[in-house]
Amino acid sequence: MTELKELKKVTRKLASHKIELYQTRGYLQCILQNSADLIFATDVEGSLVSFSKGGEKVLGYSWEEVAGRPIKDFAEDPASFERIMGACQEKGSAVALDVPFRHKEGRTVFCNTSLMDLTNRKGQRVGMVGICQDITRWKKLQEELIRVDRLAEIGRIAAGVAHEINNPLAVIGEASGWAGDLIREAKGLSPDDRHELEDTVKKIGDQTRRCRNITHKLLDFARDSAPTKTAFDVHELLKRTITFLEPEIKHTAIKIDLNFAEGPLLVNSDPRLLEQVFVNLMTNAIYAVLEKGGDNGRIEIQTLKANSEIEISFKDNGVGISDEDQTKIFDLFYTTKPPRKGTGLGLPICQSIVRNLGGDITFESEAGIGTTFTVRIPIS
Amino acid sequence: MNDQPTIRVLLVDDEEDLLEYLSKRLLKQGFTVKATFSGEEAIEAANEGYYDIAVVDLKMPGMDGVETQKRLREIQPFLQCIVLTGHGSIESALESGQQDAFQYFLKPVDYDDLVVAIKDAYKKKIEKQDRRFRQQLEELYSSGLGPKGMKKAIKDLRQIYGIE
Ligand SMILES: Nc1ncnc2c1ncn2[C@@H]1O[C@H](COP(=O)(O)OP(=O)(O)OP(=O)(O)O)[C@@H](O)[C@H]1O
Ligand SMILES: [Mg+2]
Repeated sequence: MTELKELKKVTRKLASHKIELYQTRGYLQCILQNSADLIFATDVEGSLVSFSKGGEKVLGYSWEEVAGRPIKDFAEDPASFERIMGACQEKGSAVALDVPFRHKEGRTVFCNTSLMDLTNRKGQRVGMVGICQDITRWKKLQEELIRVDRLAEIGRIAAGVAHEINNPLAVIGEASGWAGDLIREAKGLSPDDRHELEDTVKKIGDQTRRCRNITHKLLDFARDSAPTKTAFDVHELLKRTITFLEPEIKHTAIKIDLNFAEGPLLVNSDPRLLEQVFVNLMTNAIYAVLEKGGDNGRIEIQTLKANSEIEISFKDNGVGISDEDQTKIFDLFYTTKPPRKGTGLGLPICQSIVRNLGGDITFESEAGIGTTFTVRIPIS
Repeated sequence: MNDQPTIRVLLVDDEEDLLEYLSKRLLKQGFTVKATFSGEEAIEAANEGYYDIAVVDLKMPGMDGVETQKRLREIQPFLQCIVLTGHGSIESALESGQQDAFQYFLKPVDYDDLVVAIKDAYKKKIEKQDRRFRQQLEELYSSGLGPKGMKKAIKDLRQIYGIE
């Protein structure tokens, strides 16, 4: 009788354990199915015996493609991955940051990786479990932030220098202007001397203006004050920009096509800053088209309205940008133009302004075919 | 230039070399020019003589450009200010905008642009001043002052407006 009671008790206990087990299994499966991380298990040899759904996203392979293959083969550097596995065997677990894996499509995926040794009840090793968190995007963002930071720092230094140079520059400008005034009215100069002197003074003035142009642009670039936002119509601003550039376009065969979204394009942003972006992008496009020559020069300005942002693109059929240059055009002072024509500040200024306005600027270009710059900014 | 009234310009900038050449050029072009090298000096000048336009540097040791403008306008309410900034910072320029600067330029300013701005500012000043002068005259006539009181009041007005 007592045995029977005991048996019943054990059976009940077993049943509740089973339920618990099922629940745990369901729980684990849920993790494996839904986690964005790569979670895997291997046998003693390090060959994959389980691979989570997240893993399929992180590395691009399906379970069928990886089943039974050694996990280290998916690391960019299998030898150093083996070392991490070795450490895990020794200590029972191991953590490694920033481990590079190779995605099925060939690109590198960086993962924070933690490994754990799996042992059975008798203490024998049966394999290993690993969790790899994809931090590639985060890492890219981090790098970008560092780049922006560095650019801002360079900008601040450059602006400091520009500011210091501005005052002496102003003095040189006015002194040469005064000299010019005097020469104009001076008596007793031979025509040759007068001409020489006038020419020289004019050159000093021209070069001073050139310097001023650079210092002003640098100060524009470094200006990180908050934008002053007002509501305005971007279409109107674009038309004003074109009118402003009319003198440069007039004598060319460049055709400007406006492909505007219907109606006014109202935003709450800083029109002065945005105008600067438009002028810079247009100036670049005009130059690229003229450099290519021919009579088919064309610049198309297109606008689009989305839910919370607007998009303005400038498409030209100019010389385009070579793949090598494409990586550098946003660098401070990077220019392919001859000394008097470009300072290499236009695009960095555009980038810093657009970011300041909470938007972004991108481009697509093919050498010899043309370039499209696209500016996106939030509506408010 | 001869048949036009001369425009009285007050220059305020701590860069002495710059003011030397700027004032020489403006003088030669027929402006009446007073160069001062600090805000304090400018205030002193405004207490002694009458000016149409002040060209003020924003960043000076001691009294800065914003404060200088404010004080100048307290002394001579119709004075138009042109602000020079070597700062490249909108903030301070905007702040001076609150002081109603007629226009502001990034330093170094182009001389020809400056001359145009001075002439425009002068026009604006005259308009404003005339309007107010007439208004005050009318108030005077309807105030019922006797001839003697009237004469004195007009004399006072002339002084305020710098009309000789
Ligand atoms: N629309 C375009 N088509 C072809 N190349 C371009 C275009 N826009 C920019 N580039 C390239 O990018 C470089 C950098 O442009 P950026 O506007 O920063 O400087 P810049 O035009 O050379 O000088 P700055 O604008 O300071 O006068 C240019 O020198 C040019 O080589
Ligand atoms: Mg450019």
